[in-house]
Amino acid sequence: MSNFVVLNKQEHRHINVITDHSLKYGDGVMHAMTFPMEFRDIQSCYPIFFCKDPDSGQFYPAALFGLEKGENLFITDSGWDASYIPMMVRRHPFLIGFQNDESYPEGKKPVVSIDLDHPRVSDAGGEILFAENGESSDYLKQSMILLESIHQGHEQNKVLIEMLLEHNLLEEFVVEVTLRDGSQKRLSGFYTIAEENLYALGGDVLGALNDKGLLQAIFMAVASLSRLRPLVEKKTVTIS
Amino acid sequence: MSTSQTIRSVVIVGGGTAGWLTAAIIAAEHRGNRDQRDDLESSVTVTLIESPEISTIGVGEGTWPSMRTTLKKIGISETELFRECDASFKQGTLFRGWRNGKDDIYTHPFTVPHGYESTNLVPHWQSFREKVDFSQAVSPQNSLMLAGLAPKQIVTPEYGFHVNYGYHLDAVKFAKLLQKHCVQKLGVIHHSAKVVQVNSDSDNYILSLDTDVDTTVSGDLFVDASGSRSLLLGKHYGIPLHSKKQFLFNDTGLASQVPYVNEDDPIASSTLSTAQKNGWIWDIGLPSRRGIGHVYSSSHTSEERATEELLNYIADTVSPEMAAKTSVRKVNFEPGHRVEFWHKNCVAVGMSAGFIEPLEASALVLVELSAAMISEQLPENRHVMKIIAKRFNQKFLYRWERIIDFLKLHYILTQRTDSDYWKDNQRTDSIPHSIAEALDLWQWQSPWHQDTMHVDEMFPSASYQYILYGMDFITKQGADRSSSRDGSLASKRLFSENIKRTEMLVSSMPANRILIDKIKAFGLQKI
Repeated sequence: MSNFVVLNKQEHRHINVITDHSLKYGDGVMHAMTFPMEFRDIQSCYPIFFCKDPDSGQFYPAALFGLEKGENLFITDSGWDASYIPMMVRRHPFLIGFQNDESYPEGKKPVVSIDLDHPRVSDAGGEILFAENGESSDYLKQSMILLESIHQGHEQNKVLIEMLLEHNLLEEFVVEVTLRDGSQKRLSGFYTIAEENLYALGGDVLGALNDKGLLQAIFMAVASLSRLRPLVEKKTVTIS
Repeated sequence: MSTSQTIRSVVIVGGGTAGWLTAAIIAAEHRGNRDQRDDLESSVTVTLIESPEISTIGVGEGTWPSMRTTLKKIGISETELFRECDASFKQGTLFRGWRNGKDDIYTHPFTVPHGYESTNLVPHWQSFREKVDFSQAVSPQNSLMLAGLAPKQIVTPEYGFHVNYGYHLDAVKFAKLLQKHCVQKLGVIHHSAKVVQVNSDSDNYILSLDTDVDTTVSGDLFVDASGSRSLLLGKHYGIPLHSKKQFLFNDTGLASQVPYVNEDDPIASSTLSTAQKNGWIWDIGLPSRRGIGHVYSSSHTSEERATEELLNYIADTVSPEMAAKTSVRKVNFEPGHRVEFWHKNCVAVGMSAGFIEPLEASALVLVELSAAMISEQLPENRHVMKIIAKRFNQKFLYRWERIIDFLKLHYILTQRTDSDYWKDNQRTDSIPHSIAEALDLWQWQSPWHQDTMHVDEMFPSASYQYILYGMDFITKQGADRSSSRDGSLASKRLFSENIKRTEMLVSSMPANRILIDKIKAFGLQKI
């Protein structure tokens, strides 16, 4: 279980964070949320799908790492084997939480939180969060920038999903793959860009998508599907 | 008058659920034509006249699964329905006390038995019928109903499901939503006025209706959705009501609305039907309240006694405090239907066509079926209208007969003898010949696909199975020829698949209220 608390210079002075990637550090996940701003990098390594949050049914884009629950085919003995690691993976063990504060938009003040029970949190090794003089470490500064981007990414996702649904640009995609050993894998609950509808869009809608900075992202998501085959091949290698 | 007069204008009288649902179904289908075709000659207009003085009854709060298809067709989103109509999920009916009046329970789920297309599970279930209830053995829905779970998850698209479902809803709010949709989206013309006079031509076809606001609304086809008043078909044309009281005795309803003790109390996902001495009590869980009512035979008991039973039920199942605060509204009805439903250019839909009793919630589904036939078969002119009217009458007379058979089945099979009501219900002269004959047959073989005559039968043979075997009916074991060796192998597989599926669904479906709250907060996705 997670144990998020607001990050605090005094209390968390001696905390270190391990930045290596391994199953034991919580990287055994089949997919992670991604954001339009990183789609270009994501599509060079991973297929981008859309799935539904089980608690709200709301769509979000996700980068796919494996073909079954808990499987991450990019994890090797020497770490995460890809040229780009998604923001939502790198953000651990941090998260932006919200405190009630009327002086902020919607009465919510964003605060940096840390999951003290996350396997990356340790007493020694890895990156320090604060220097002796109490100043934030470079690692923490980068993490804060990352969290800020993720915060923007969530807002961007909302707009992206809204536009995709409005113009019927999502369709269910059942991933059916036959592995080299003949076994079948069937992934359901995934959605992808409805290409036929995309190519039938008129100039006004395309223009609107472009104005919102989403057009490139949508085509990146389309292109990302060609990463599915290498993923299946990775799986086959793992089995044999 | 020319018999080739074309039908271009449909006028509906009555603004309850029946009227608005009919308007929506016709307008949704024929509006498309209007937008596409350039010649206005072939367009159809739909007008609804609603009397502002008459309040709708709004007792019928249960729908069949067919309502999902109907709503989808007329273009209402499921999220809208949940947000605006105080709707909840209904997966069927849970019957209590119908067998022996003590603690017996059985369900009639909306999902047909597993593998129903190819295998009749009844003969195979017979060998362990003492151990497992029929609906439990053949459908995962029994467990979901007993546990008050939802038929789907928040990630399931709108109108999609894991197990089949309909709705419980606030009929007054539902009529309002339909009205808004009809007027804003489907181009239905709405008159708020009282009809004061019917004007006919020399062939006695209705030409127009005068209203109390000095307007005259003319039309080619008139739909009577005026409720039990039956303004056009009954009053104007004098088509008599055919009473069915000799078969189904209930003629009085006592309705009440009871809030939950705590706002977040569970919402049942089935209609609860609890047999009483001289009728039965319905209990319909909406998110904001329960609709609880007693429907009974006034020939067998008094209003005082029936009210007492109702309040006792509320005291036992809600709380004594709530029972003390409950106000009860009485509705009398003559169980029966008109001898014909479509006469000249007038067709009755809803209570103006007939009403039996709320058991198995057949009222709204009959509205859907009637409106669908009127809409699909909308006559081009008066000449073909005669043919369509004849067929409509045949079809719906048949449907009423089947409703009466099916409802009566619930009463015939009881073991109760604790009142004249239950004894009279088992008297031969109170049983329609058609269902008596079928029961004779079913002692030797269980009902299956050959037992129904039509493809669009209201109650499929599966429904008969659920009631018969839920009520402990005995089909002689071994006599059933449909139980072959192949069937026996298939049945083993089907029973074990059903057990697995039941476990999976019970552990993954949310509670009815939890899902409804989520739908209100996030909405259901269209895909």
